[in-house]
Amino acid sequence: MDNKITIRELLETYDSIIVNQVYTEDIVMFKLFEKDFLIIGPLKKDLSSKAQIYLYNDEGTDYPHVVLKDIDINKESMLPIGKYRGICLYEHESVIQSLFSYEEKIIDIIDRLIKLLSMTKTEQEREFQREFLYYWNSATDLQNIDIYLKQDIKFTKLEKYCRKKTTRYVESNIELTDINNCDTRGNRIWQRHIETEAFFIPIIDKREILPPYRNHSWTIENIKEIIYGKQINHISADTYFQLKNKIVSTQNIIIVFAMRELKTKVCFAVMVKCKNGKKRTLFDKIYKDGIDIVLFNVERKDYLYLNEIIGNDSIFYNKKVLLVGGGSLGSYVAPELVENGASNIVIYDEDKLEDENKMRWRFGGWSVGLNKAEILGFFLERFHPQVHVECHKNNLDEASLELELQNVDLIIFTIGNSDEQLKFNRLLNKLNCKIPVFFVWLEAGGMYSHILVVNYKKQGCFECLYTNKDGKLVNNRATLNTEIQTENNILRNGCGGTRAAYGTSILLRTVSVLLNTIQKIFLGNIKENILIDISSEMVSYPDDIIPMKGCNCCGNRK
Amino acid sequence: MKLKKEFEDFYKCIRIDSETQNLIDKREILEDEIKNKFPNIMEKHDIELNKSDIRMIDQGSYKYNTTIKSKVVDRDVAVMIPLDISKNSDPRKIKKYLKEAINIPVRSVSIKEPCVRAAYYEKEVEWLHIDLPLYAKDNGTIYLARGKENSDKYSWEEADPDGLNDDLCEKINGNNQLRRIICYIKKWKNEVYSNSNRDHEVPPSIGLTYLACDCFFKQTSEEGDDDLLALQKTMNAIKNKFFCINNIEGEITSADISRELPVPPYTDIFKKMRDSSSSYMITFYKRLSIAVNNLTNAINVESEHDAAEYVQKVLGTEFVVPEKEAVVATTQNKKEHSFG
Ligand SMILES: [Zn+2]
Ligand SMILES: [Zn+2]
Repeated sequence: MDNKITIRELLETYDSIIVNQVYTEDIVMFKLFEKDFLIIGPLKKDLSSKAQIYLYNDEGTDYPHVVLKDIDINKESMLPIGKYRGICLYEHESVIQSLFSYEEKIIDIIDRLIKLLSMTKTEQEREFQREFLYYWNSATDLQNIDIYLKQDIKFTKLEKYCRKKTTRYVESNIELTDINNCDTRGNRIWQRHIETEAFFIPIIDKREILPPYRNHSWTIENIKEIIYGKQINHISADTYFQLKNKIVSTQNIIIVFAMRELKTKVCFAVMVKCKNGKKRTLFDKIYKDGIDIVLFNVERKDYLYLNEIIGNDSIFYNKKVLLVGGGSLGSYVAPELVENGASNIVIYDEDKLEDENKMRWRFGGWSVGLNKAEILGFFLERFHPQVHVECHKNNLDEASLELELQNVDLIIFTIGNSDEQLKFNRLLNKLNCKIPVFFVWLEAGGMYSHILVVNYKKQGCFECLYTNKDGKLVNNRATLNTEIQTENNILRNGCGGTRAAYGTSILLRTVSVLLNTIQKIFLGNIKENILIDISSEMVSYPDDIIPMKGCNCCGNRK
Repeated sequence: MKLKKEFEDFYKCIRIDSETQNLIDKREILEDEIKNKFPNIMEKHDIELNKSDIRMIDQGSYKYNTTIKSKVVDRDVAVMIPLDISKNSDPRKIKKYLKEAINIPVRSVSIKEPCVRAAYYEKEVEWLHIDLPLYAKDNGTIYLARGKENSDKYSWEEADPDGLNDDLCEKINGNNQLRRIICYIKKWKNEVYSNSNRDHEVPPSIGLTYLACDCFFKQTSEEGDDDLLALQKTMNAIKNKFFCINNIEGEITSADISRELPVPPYTDIFKKMRDSSSSYMITFYKRLSIAVNNLTNAINVESEHDAAEYVQKVLGTEFVVPEKEAVVATTQNKKEHSFG
């Protein structure tokens, strides 16, 4: 790279900059807006290296992005003795440094510095709020608490649980599957604590709420302003009246706040220390009896947040799913449901996992010989304590289906058995099933798989697939394999049992289409009952298979 | 459309769209005290006043929902009582009795020309005042108590506070762009008059609100409301309402604008400003002209960045200037995100 232009020369092109001292070609001290800065150029050998800027000997400056800790240089070295504070001008990995030349890197970082120092009050407020947690967490003594919320828009009471050094605050109506777990000696792992009451307060207007930073630490006054703002209502009227009504009698109170309207939701907590443990309203405890606060670092661990933070669609959240069949396909479907926002699953399967299937069963590793529904339940609940799985060690029957229909939001069949599915299809039709039903099955050979989506108020059902134009029953018309292909792909185990040959790629792509399809259904983007053909080449939607007019099941429906 | 998001953010930043609980509590306590103590004090001076005859009337920007953030919260609540003004011809006395009724240490109470003011301080800084204009209802006619405590200029002036409220609410409610334009103009006023503290130097908010209503140009397209264009057109139309006289050099030697109240006393809202000093009106006109020029430039320049810089000169630094397009383009091409 051609480095004829030095940092010094680049700096001198700015009217507002005065170069104080050049230590090496790459290390220069300069003055800008009455402050001294040290710039260290990027390494010339390393394309990804970036330039760095430090504020020199300036305690008072409290701009956003100026890091809070000093680097002390107190021994004689090339650099003058003093305190250096780094300035964070790039978000992590936000710019591909390798695409910039040495010269561009210097100009870019200086431009960013000038922009930072020319920020208006409003821009500073935005930046401080964007980096709220960085400042907040730097101001706490790394006291972490975990938060589990079912929602984050309404005031709510939280319950406190402790386990060694971990503390959880849980919204009152959340059941965590691990909260009653015991250790090997039979003692509860999580202890409920009642010496400190805890509450969640959502902030609806974050204006003028800045994080604690240099020379601006938080006191009880900050909390008072949030709950009882002078010019701005930071909390809703509903929250305010809850504060006025809730009676509290502990001396210390934990308050967890959440701020919205930022790119990510921001949660932070304080312990309000009151002058005594007298019974008073929560509002009075904070506003009148509050004397001091302790800052806590909050980690949201709840299922809602973990879904939102990765961009999962909220449409699936709180839906209860009946999964019929925990075989290979079911074992791949179930965890994906959980990872996409469905935390309530009901599974039926009487089979035990065998060695010969373990290579294509999702949690095959050490589960051989156990009931498939139970293994799934075990793993899914360990995924997150808000996941609840009802495992049935039997196959679904008609009576159970009728019962489940009252409680679930959608049904997924992953059993592959035509007789069973025809039977359930008839029953669902008869019961006027109002929820969406997905029949998912694989053809032998790992080539083709299918999804049939049925809304029982509309034409087209599972039996249509087995009905010809004359209304006669025939084999599944959706099948794409030829007879010979099918026969070649069946492995016989020597005693009449059969096993279709396929690996996990067909499972993965089928599950992927299923997830998209479920999402489309709940968003209302699929209006009619549809059949989907899936292969490694493409996903297609044949429109000539269903509905079948002469179908004895759905044919008479309007 | 130019600066759509910037105007939206700006409005969110300056806007107060509800009375805080804190303020509600203070106001309600004050109202209760007036109802409970004012009749007793009146009785001592042989004036009959029943608690139930005192009426509080919500007024000002909180009533029309055009409040913006300010250093000191300004709340207007009128007090109306039945009173025979021929027997009680000196409104200063009645205002003094009202002051007496609410004069306790948590607030500092003073008598202003058109009202009694209760001011609230924290750490010796005033953060709120509640202004209480006092109205007398006599034989179906309403009069405002005017006059400072010890001034020899005082009168019962005919007024119609409810009529004024109805008129403004009818004009503003349901017209959100107008509401925003009024807020922008009030913000502009706060910016250009931030160092003004002489009486009547600053154009009164009610006057600006009426001028904004009179001169409002709705500007909207398929992309939504164009507040920049609406603000420029409205302020320009206000500017054109001025009657100006220039000398030979082209300097303005006189400027004047008026707006009559649509209800009794039908007086000109700008009368006091005009009567106080002829320079006040000239300053008003000049500042308005500068604002119109800046907004016109904002409309005419091509880049959002440059346009926003012009708008910022009018509305203050809460109006955020977006980055130059060129800068955005180069770094955006070189941005990336981690996928964890
Ligand atoms: Zn930063
Ligand atoms: Zn059918």
